[in-house]
Amino acid sequence: MILGKTGPRVALATTLVAGALVTGACGVPHVAAGEIAVVGAETQYADVLGQIGGRYVSVSAVVNNPATDPHNFEASTAVAREIAQAQLIVQNGDGYDAFMNQIEAATSKPSRDVLSVAVLEHETGAANPHLWYMPSTMETLARAVARRLETLAPRHATYFAGREAAFLSSWRRVEEALASTRARVKGLPVASTEPVGDYLFEAMGLVNATPWRFQADVMNGVDPSPEDIATQEGLVLGHRVRALIYNSQVGTSVTEGLRRLARDHDVATIPIAEIMSPREHVQTWFLDEIATITAGLLHVVTSGGS
Amino acid sequence: MPHWLVEPGLWSNAAVHTGVTVGVVVAVVSAWVGLFTVLRSQSFAGHALADVATAGGAGAGLFGWSPLAGFVSGAVLGAGAMEAIGVERVRQRDVATGVVLGAATGLSALFLYLVSLNSTNSGTTQLVLFGSLFLVSSTTLWIVLGVSVVLSLVLAVIGRPLLFASVSPDAARARGVAVSRVAVLFTLVMAVTVGLSAIVLGSVLSTALLIGPPASALRLGRGLAQTAFASVALGAAAAALGVVVSYDSFYWWPSHRALPVSFCVVALIILELALVNLWRWHGARREAA
Repeated sequence: MILGKTGPRVALATTLVAGALVTGACGVPHVAAGEIAVVGAETQYADVLGQIGGRYVSVSAVVNNPATDPHNFEASTAVAREIAQAQLIVQNGDGYDAFMNQIEAATSKPSRDVLSVAVLEHETGAANPHLWYMPSTMETLARAVARRLETLAPRHATYFAGREAAFLSSWRRVEEALASTRARVKGLPVASTEPVGDYLFEAMGLVNATPWRFQADVMNGVDPSPEDIATQEGLVLGHRVRALIYNSQVGTSVTEGLRRLARDHDVATIPIAEIMSPREHVQTWFLDEIATITAGLLHVVTSGGS
Repeated sequence: MPHWLVEPGLWSNAAVHTGVTVGVVVAVVSAWVGLFTVLRSQSFAGHALADVATAGGAGAGLFGWSPLAGFVSGAVLGAGAMEAIGVERVRQRDVATGVVLGAATGLSALFLYLVSLNSTNSGTTQLVLFGSLFLVSSTTLWIVLGVSVVLSLVLAVIGRPLLFASVSPDAARARGVAVSRVAVLFTLVMAVTVGLSAIVLGSVLSTALLIGPPASALRLGRGLAQTAFASVALGAAAAALGVVVSYDSFYWWPSHRALPVSFCVVALIILELALVNLWRWHGARREAA
């Protein structure tokens, strides 16, 4: 089997997109005069677009349901319409949201700007596509979005620059939290079900003991080999890890079994999300995720005797 | 045991134990049922039942039921639909089978789409279509064993009249065999069997276990008892070896990418068929010389 990453799959034929566009504009989200239509492929990127663009943009997010597995995303005709009218699009790239490229190609619009986070972060070939968990991503993206919006609406350049500065200063709180957490949890071994949080674990100084093959198999929706499952179970049974960090949005019978095993053997189980809830902002989302992981890890440290 | 056949940890791995047990038991039942399926020229119906099992498995994934329950109930409902549309005559049988197959595949597409929209379970498509033998739970193992015993008992009871009805329906009817009732009962048995083998190979490949070993056994061309025995032995061997090969393949490449177990089992079934054909061809040449 080829080692690789599958982005969300699209079962949507190009013809379907074209058909939807022909059938017209009913149900298209309302974009007020003077507003720039922008689309974030994932909620977390859409939030950055909204925070920089403020009252001059109308934002929509394509993958926005934290209760489902984003890798199984299937684009609808409504999404095709949103993308058709967008002037600025932010997507993850690196194969994670390849459906965006297909829809963009089906609705080509020369004036449209597409920002790929993978390109911005020079990670176009990264094995782990969950790039938003790199602490540098949101800063880089905020800067890039501000520049693009200034080009699209030069009249509001000062406004966008101000919002960019506000975003960057609030992001500093996330970096401070990361630094102070790192001092407390650095070097702790953890097991994981999926590569979703790997970049964050790295930033926190955690040691991820799970084989990459296992993470990739779960991410790609194929069965991990019995050997790798045995390795994972060994990590939990031998208490060689502080916690099992699982993707709260991607579960399989293997990951469910591991969570049960961890609970039965007093190894902490900590959830991590893949897609941000549309009700949150990236700063608080990051702070919450860091706090959840830290609490889960240190709870085990303090009650280590039990 | 040589190292190349048995890689480290094979005997101590719980997933392998369950895999071999479920694989062999299901292969034995499938090979037995499959022999009648091939004799009655119902291979196409067997394949269609597998497609209905797909819809059942996908529906189970949607509602959070066990995949086995979904596969079996899907296939049984499909068998009922086929019987209801009418399968008395061979010609009608193909049409009824085709209609049910199309409808079921459409439903599978809908269910798998809804699964992707509404659940966090990303492995459902893979599990339903191609199986996850190494992930079978111990509860499922016991259910598979129980259902297999029941199937074997039913087959033992209807085996003789079924064979009679398959070979010569008119003579069987004249001798008082309830031909159509036996046929309905057998379709049901076949449906449950397809549901079971979907657990081993996934629904798309489950016909391989039903048709492959009996096809090989029939080519060996001996008496009925010997053919049945050969069919069961070939099926069991393919299932058990397939599990071992899949486990071992982890160590074959430095990347440690193991081959999927359903691929290994199907590859061995095809290999058996090829070897049997080769052997027959060789024998025919010797006779001619």
